[in-house]
Formats: sequence, structure tokens, C-alpha cells
Amino acid sequence: MDAALVIEDLAVQLRGRGEVADILDGITLTVPRGSVTGVVGESGCGKSTLLRAILGILPGRATTPRGRILFEGRDILPARAAKPHGRIGFVPQDPYLSLNPVFRAGDQILEIMRRHAPGTRAEHRAKLVELFRAVQLPDPEAALRKYPHQFSGGQRQRLLIAAALCCDPALIVADEPTTALDVTTQREVLGLLRELVRARGLSMLFVTHDFGVLASLCDEVSVLYAGRVAESGPTRAVLDTPTHPYTRMLLACHPDRAVELLGIPGAVPPATAQPAGCRFHPRCPVAQPDCRQDVPPLLPWSGGRAVACPHAARMEAHALA
Amino acid sequence: MPELLRAEALTTDLGRRAGFLRPAVSLRAVDGVTLSIAEGEAFGVVGESGCGKTTLARTLLGLQREAAGEITLGGRRVSGLAPAEARRVRADIQYVHQDPGAALDPWWRVGATLDEGLRIHGISSAEERAARIAEMLAAVGLDADFGQRYPHELSGGQQRRIGLARILLLRPKLVILDEPTAGLDLSVQASVLRLLAELRARFGLTYLFISHDLTVVRRVCDRVAVMYLGQVVEEGPAEALFANPAHPYTRALLAAAPHLDGRAAGPSLPGEPPSLRRIPAGCRFHPRCTRASALCAAQAPPMEAAGPAHQVACHHWREAA
Repeated sequence: MDAALVIEDLAVQLRGRGEVADILDGITLTVPRGSVTGVVGESGCGKSTLLRAILGILPGRATTPRGRILFEGRDILPARAAKPHGRIGFVPQDPYLSLNPVFRAGDQILEIMRRHAPGTRAEHRAKLVELFRAVQLPDPEAALRKYPHQFSGGQRQRLLIAAALCCDPALIVADEPTTALDVTTQREVLGLLRELVRARGLSMLFVTHDFGVLASLCDEVSVLYAGRVAESGPTRAVLDTPTHPYTRMLLACHPDRAVELLGIPGAVPPATAQPAGCRFHPRCPVAQPDCRQDVPPLLPWSGGRAVACPHAARMEAHALA
Repeated sequence: MPELLRAEALTTDLGRRAGFLRPAVSLRAVDGVTLSIAEGEAFGVVGESGCGKTTLARTLLGLQREAAGEITLGGRRVSGLAPAEARRVRADIQYVHQDPGAALDPWWRVGATLDEGLRIHGISSAEERAARIAEMLAAVGLDADFGQRYPHELSGGQQRRIGLARILLLRPKLVILDEPTAGLDLSVQASVLRLLAELRARFGLTYLFISHDLTVVRRVCDRVAVMYLGQVVEEGPAEALFANPAHPYTRALLAAAPHLDGRAAGPSLPGEPPSLRRIPAGCRFHPRCTRASALCAAQAPPMEAAGPAHQVACHHWREAA
């Protein structure tokens, strides 16, 4: 498969106060070229650390990570590897916090281009105006001279998408870019992202905790739990017939689908005290004795999926929506 | 069901008083809202940022003084009072803060925060306060030793539970829940919604549920009002309103909400999000409405019946149906 990004067996730990937090363990996922791959999971599942590893901005207290992140044929994970500046664009979560309020928005993006894109200042400006047009900002010429507070929330998110595109990236990684927006604005921004991916032949890794957003944007998905991949595969297959007990129970919590709102008993384990074996076993209704010792491998499953649970078939029999 | 709370043509202005060489600035955040909440009902208010949901709640609560209109609580007229007095008369209404973490004092143990509310409301016996706190912690599903913890030691879901315990101790009749599930993970959201349903049944509570999450509102509320730029544009039984939305704005809002089945979203809402600084003449929604006519630009539509207990303010709702 032609892949824009391949992550193999990635593990990241953070040190602090004599403790070691196991943030990511054995993450394997692929972003096929020209498609949108979603990463979904609840707080503490390691979504943000995964993004940081890809962007090469892991915090200083991270141990030497294990595994590989292959981008354009090179492993970009080692600290000394040449970083793919500009080739990976980043769309942050909060459009209100991600722009410096005392500088013009246009200048902040031009600064990125000056560092990482070839060309003169005039060429950069012309390109940015064209990008502002592509992200459908009203009056692109005037937008160049405006300060962040002069844009609405949706417009600011469009600015940040333009910033992510300014150095002609091959891959976009997006960190829940629509959580701070209203539904009607969210719908517009998601439509824009889909259109940009199609028109520019981009690939995208999209992190979210919202299954509705996932369903409307992503082709493939990996469901993370406590730093490991629980289930991955085509979005429709995973949403329609979730197979891992965690995915099943989580989707049963969605107000669209829930017969009765049950929640999941227990809580996500702290990263400093991950349970042995399958990390979901203390909360799992079909846990078996071996789940407490053996780390379940990602096994191929029907519909092009992979599921990290040898007992997933038992879940069929378990009385759950 | 007898009526618990009624607001008649309620209007609230937000703004600064005039100062030296500075004219008074005021924004009409709530403009002529009429609503009636029956005892034991869960009443939802939905709308986008800036539509006046929170200002409406603050006015009902007595934290914000109404500029015009009348509020009746349990058959007694409670409006027209200065904020401090208004708040006292409305002790039966309690408010659960949007961000329950911010509503707790980080230097105080949770138990002390809970105790303070009871002391302020004149429960002088320490034993009675302790007994009521222990009982309430159990009711929201927390162990009694949670009283000894500090707010930072609680998870988001636990903070929400403490926020609920704190106001339920005061034995309110009407609880205003401002975005009670914002920022929660799906599984935690499910357990919070379940808890809300249990508490409502157990204590005979009435809810005013403010949210922008339509899937949650649909799940929880009996009746729903949709707000746009400070006015209610549609109101009705949740089932009828979600199945047959009559107002074009309600339709757009429902079409924009992402769903699990990935069903194609409806046409998007054109134009910029509205601002209270530039309220359009006539129907406030007409600049963004696909069905707008000359009449809409000239004349504000009156509320008319669109079904049993279902009202809509649109000149053209019949054609849209």
C-alpha cells in the first residue's frame, strides 16, 4: 500500500518524580496516501503524545522512544533525524489560543514561510493570499493585515488551516480542530478539510474524541485505549460492527445509539500504573484469566480490520447493544 | 403538571454604564423570551455561542437584572428586584456551572466547599451538615472520603458529581445545568447523563438544560426551545421538534450535527455567525435563510402554533414543511 505515514511499534514513556508513565505502547498505524485516517480515544489514551511524536516535539522528559515513524521513506523519530519541516502541516485544537494576539495573523504565517519555504517575501505574500482564498476567508487581501481578534472562531480555524498548508505539506496532522466551534461552523470546517484533501491530494491524520466527526470525515480509524491500539480498520466497519469490547462499550455510550446510557464501569488507568496484560481487562465484561497476563496482539479481523482482543467473539454473546 | 417557572417577554441588556466621556454601551442579549417550565420537566435550551442561552439562565437565576418582562416562580412574581434581593427570593433555583472545576476553590477540601453552602443557608448544626453531605455524596455516587480530597485530585466526571452534590444539598426545585457534558469523554458523559436522570427521579427535580449538543438534548429533554440572537425561534416537545423541525434555523442546526451513521449532512448555513452588535431588521435569521422573502426583511415573524404545544416564529414554516 502506498502510505503517506507509517508508524511501527511506537512506544513513548515520560519520566517524572521517580515514576515512569507509560504513555504509548506498541502503536502501529498507517495513513494511506490521499486519505483521512482518524485516531479516536478518550482523555489519557495518548492521542496528544502520538501527535507530538510525529511532529518531533516530544517533551524533554520523554525517554528515548522505541519504534519507527516512516515519512517519505525516512524514519523521523530519532532525535537526530532531519525533521521534515513544512512537509507535515499541523492544525491545532484551539483557534483562540494558537495565534499571538499582538501580531497580525498574516505576519505570523509569513514567518513560518520565511523559515521553511523557498521564495521571496513577495512570492510568499502572493501565495498566502491564494491560500486564504482556498480556505474561503472573506476578502483575502484585507485578511493579511488583520489581527487575530478581528476574525471569528471559524475564520481563525481557517487561518490555522492556511498556516498548516503554507509550506506545501504532504501530510496534515490535525488535533481536534473543531471542538471549540459551534456545530454549523464545525460542519463548514470539516467540509473544507475534506475538499482540501481531495483537491490537493493531501493525506491527513485526524485526532478526535467525537465519533460523529469521525464518521463524517475519516476513511480509516484507529481506536486507542490507554496507549495501545484496541481496534483499527475502515471507519464504517468499525462504527457499524465494533468488535473490541472497549469499542463496543464506548459506542454504546453514544446518545445516537444508546438504548440505555450505561457508561463503562471503572476508569481509565493512570499512565503510571498500567495494568499488566490487556490494559482494558479490569473494566472488561468478558475478561478471561489470560487477559491479566498476556498483552493481546492486534489480530486481523473481517472487513479489513485489526482487533487487539483474542476473546472478541465472546462479546457477541454478551448482552450488550 | 403545574407550572414551576414562567418567564414572560423577558429582556436582558448587558453592558457598561456610561462613564466620563463614555456613552453607555448595551447589548440586548435576551429579547422578549417567553417560556414556561412545568414541575418535573427537563427543558432544553439550544443554540450557538452568543445566542443568549447563558444570559437567559443568569436572568432566571437573578444574577442578571432583567430590563423588562416578568418572572414567576411557583406562582409568585419574583422579578423587578435588585440582583441581591432577587437571588435570595430565587433560592429554589440553583445553577450548575459550565466548568465545575473552576467553581471549586483549589485550596479547600471538597467537603469544606460543600459545608459552606449549608452554613450560608442557615444550617447551624455541624452534625446535621455532615450527615447531609455524606448522604448527598452517596446520592451522586461518590464515597464519603471524597470530602477530604482537593479539587485537583478529582477527574472531570467526579468534579461534575461534586458540582451537582453542592447545589442539591440546598434542596432546589429547579436546577439550571449549563453545558453539563461539555468537555467530557463519551463514557463519562454517559454516566453523568444517567446520574442526572436518577437524581431527577429521586429528588423530584426540574431541569433547565442548556446545551449546544443536540444529540444529548434529544436524549435528555422533554421539551426544547431553540434560540437565535436572543430570541426563541422554535419551541416544542423534544420528539416533535427533532422529528419535524419547523424553523429553517432548527433544520440547519440539526443538519449540521454529525451523526454516527455518517449520513450526508444537509445544506450548510451560509453567511457569518450573527452578532448582537448588528441585529438584522425583520426576522433576525433572514440574512442566512434560504427561504427569506421581502416580508422576512421587513417584519419580525410572530410565534404561531405548528402542532400540539409546538410553536415556531417563521413566516414561511408551512412551505418549508
